[in-house]
Amino acid sequence: MALLNLTDMARMLSSLLLVGAALQLRAEAPAFDEYQVKAAFLYNFAKFVQWPLGTFANSTDPIGICIVGQNPFGSTLENMVQGKKVGDRTFAVRRLADTQQAGQCQILFIGATESKRTRGLLDAVKSTGVLTVGESDDFTALGGIITLRLEGPRVHIQIALDTAEHAKLKVSSKLLNLAEIAKKQP
Amino acid sequence: MSESLPKGGAGRRIAILLARLGVTLALSLGIAIVSGAQTPPPRDLTQFSLEDLMNVQVTSVSRKEQKLAKTGAAIFVITQEDIRRSGATNIPDLLRMVPGVDVARVDHSTWAVSIRGFNDVYANKVLVLIDGRSVYQPVYSGVSWYAQEMPLENIERIEVIRGPGGTVWGANAMNGVINIITESAKDTPGGLITAGGGTDMQADRLVQYGGKIGQSGNYRVYGRYAHLGKSDASTFAQPADSKRTREGGFRSDWNLTPRDLLTVQGEIHRVDGGQTITGVIFQTPPITATFGQPVGDDDGNLLARWTHRYLNGSDISLQAYYDQSRVFANGANNWATIGNIDFQHHLRIASRNDVVWGLSYRANANRFSGNSLVAVNPQRRTDSLYGAFVQDEITLTQTLALTLGSKFEHNDYTGFEIEPSAQLVWAPNPRQTVWLSAAKAIRQPSNIDSGLQTISAVQPLGQGMYGLVTVSGNPNTKVEQLRDYETGYRAQISGRLSLDVMGFLSFYKNLQTTEPQVPYFNPASGYLVIPLVFDYKARAVSYGAEAFATWNITDRWKISPGLSLLNVSVTRDASSQDSAIEHTPGRAPRRSYQVRSFINLGRGFEWDQTLGYTGPLAAGNIPGYIRLDTRLGWHWEEHWDFSLAGQNLLSPRHAEFPDIHFVDHMQDQRSVFGKITWRF
Repeated sequence: MALLNLTDMARMLSSLLLVGAALQLRAEAPAFDEYQVKAAFLYNFAKFVQWPLGTFANSTDPIGICIVGQNPFGSTLENMVQGKKVGDRTFAVRRLADTQQAGQCQILFIGATESKRTRGLLDAVKSTGVLTVGESDDFTALGGIITLRLEGPRVHIQIALDTAEHAKLKVSSKLLNLAEIAKKQP
Repeated sequence: MSESLPKGGAGRRIAILLARLGVTLALSLGIAIVSGAQTPPPRDLTQFSLEDLMNVQVTSVSRKEQKLAKTGAAIFVITQEDIRRSGATNIPDLLRMVPGVDVARVDHSTWAVSIRGFNDVYANKVLVLIDGRSVYQPVYSGVSWYAQEMPLENIERIEVIRGPGGTVWGANAMNGVINIITESAKDTPGGLITAGGGTDMQADRLVQYGGKIGQSGNYRVYGRYAHLGKSDASTFAQPADSKRTREGGFRSDWNLTPRDLLTVQGEIHRVDGGQTITGVIFQTPPITATFGQPVGDDDGNLLARWTHRYLNGSDISLQAYYDQSRVFANGANNWATIGNIDFQHHLRIASRNDVVWGLSYRANANRFSGNSLVAVNPQRRTDSLYGAFVQDEITLTQTLALTLGSKFEHNDYTGFEIEPSAQLVWAPNPRQTVWLSAAKAIRQPSNIDSGLQTISAVQPLGQGMYGLVTVSGNPNTKVEQLRDYETGYRAQISGRLSLDVMGFLSFYKNLQTTEPQVPYFNPASGYLVIPLVFDYKARAVSYGAEAFATWNITDRWKISPGLSLLNVSVTRDASSQDSAIEHTPGRAPRRSYQVRSFINLGRGFEWDQTLGYTGPLAAGNIPGYIRLDTRLGWHWEEHWDFSLAGQNLLSPRHAEFPDIHFVDHMQDQRSVFGKITWRF
């Protein structure tokens, strides 16, 4: 009677678990959380963007990365850039409630949670030499410079080149080659 | 009996098969292994180049997925990416990737799809929903896969629950539920034109446009034409298993307020079967019947759903739909009109109880006009089905949750039915879940069960005498019952590897049998009538296991192996004379294995394949077979996608299901399909 064949069932299950254990041995390399990857992009932008003259007081003035509103990175971003240097500059990560203190920011991250006030925030820092980075599909259309957009399991970069030029930012061709250039806004 | 596993052999055979699959895959993926043979990436992402960062796969675990990972049920989710990369052109072929689902192509346009055995062209133990609308036809208890056409591009995901889902979904969610969910109109803006063609699916064209309505609304409208060619070899001189689909539809989603979402959608379909032949069903006197009349399906539906989220996190939804269909085949017609309304309320009580409860009502009006072989009595019938369900997920400790619930449902055949379930979920950490469940589910009787009248065979008895075998429904219907016990283990073993393993033990009772009655002589026409009448005199026990894993071997190469093992045995009551019922287990493979592989070759190229083995079927002596499907896709610029897919590449054709119906042909054949997609 099939019901009594539980030993067979136990055997099937144990062989499945063995397969699982065998697979486990081969898989040390981790995948990353979305915001770990986005944090790494923010760090990289510091290397591939040149800010206008006079942005920094001196050659060791840190690069300010600011997060407006809700912080989706947790402590990832701080930990990642701690002790890192681009040229002689270290990093300073700040959290802002709004753009009032955005003067100390070279990179301003506006997360998807701030969608309602994105346009307002962007207008406040327009043409001030701040590299604005967002996540929503319409970020560049609203006047942002770089969108980090999730496409399937990967993070894509979209750059509004004209907006960047307007803010007097020089974006390295290396970054431009990899990014998608956003269509000009009328 | 022959259905039990040889002792000690199962483990070894699995190992051999997996090894065999592994070697074949490794050989066929030579390029991938070379391109993927890079050292594991360093943990510090700041060491990554921009190119590397762009290729890193992220795990964005949404709340819903987290919830899925903690479900006390066997669930498999087919994502839009799975759909795109499968190269499939129809829904049944997509379901092949789900361990535990049996998919057999009976002829070119007919499929048999079931979960955990009991497979048939109208398998009656699996509920199928499209955006919450049931496509399980109450008239004949089953899903006509022939008629389930939709643009696969618009499917967001397909959730396949193996095992009973009666507590939430009600009757007929017995062996499983297949939930097809389309994308919100918000996610499909702009134009989409696809043109595909091949040896099997000869034409598949979709034209779609989506946009905004005012500030808060989004819409899409589409039209599609598809022509599935006939098979190239046939039991008939000219195959009749082609079909043409013409369909159109729309979906609109409105954010009435930030907390209110309204969805209104509708579709019309027309599916026409190929009819180039006149086939003879019976040519022996006294009955000669031929078929040559059209076969097809017309249907249309309209659905509206309103969801409101309260500030405290609870939500309510109200959904209503209207569905009208006509199925026609060989002169018989069935008109069905269904109106359905569902209300659902999800709330938290105290801090420990996550409660969902709901009410539902369905009216189903049916009219059947038969042909010379089939009739349903009464011809017109209107049934109502109403019910309530409640389910409470109780947080016992930080890591342990107990879910209890039941459906209480009234149908016009057997009155009140109760479908309770309990699930215990233990998640000792966010990466692992162990679950146990017990549930009761039913299959509700249908019009056919109570009122069918058909001639199923003519038997020459010698000396010019004929016996006429008739099959009749039985007004004294019963529900088929399932008691099911399951356990499973789900683990995110590392950032790159996840595993899902489960086992089940199911007890069925009151399974439908066909019982011979005393034959009688019909002097007027001079033949012997051998009547068979439906009854409910069989039991079954089944057990088995299903497992699948997802393994990101490198950032560019992912594989998903899966397997399912099934053992069903059916026993009839001492009073039953239906010996055929005991062959039911032979209609589903006892084992199947597969490996899917996804490779990103870079520069927008993708190379994907599926290699799978399906075990033999005892019914019809269908041998086991190995399928290899492959697809090469190229994403160009932003707006263009090109793909070329080959299915069943290893053999010109193979049989997948026995000929137990009047279908044309029983083989699935090698095919190639190319497609161009333009988005603007």
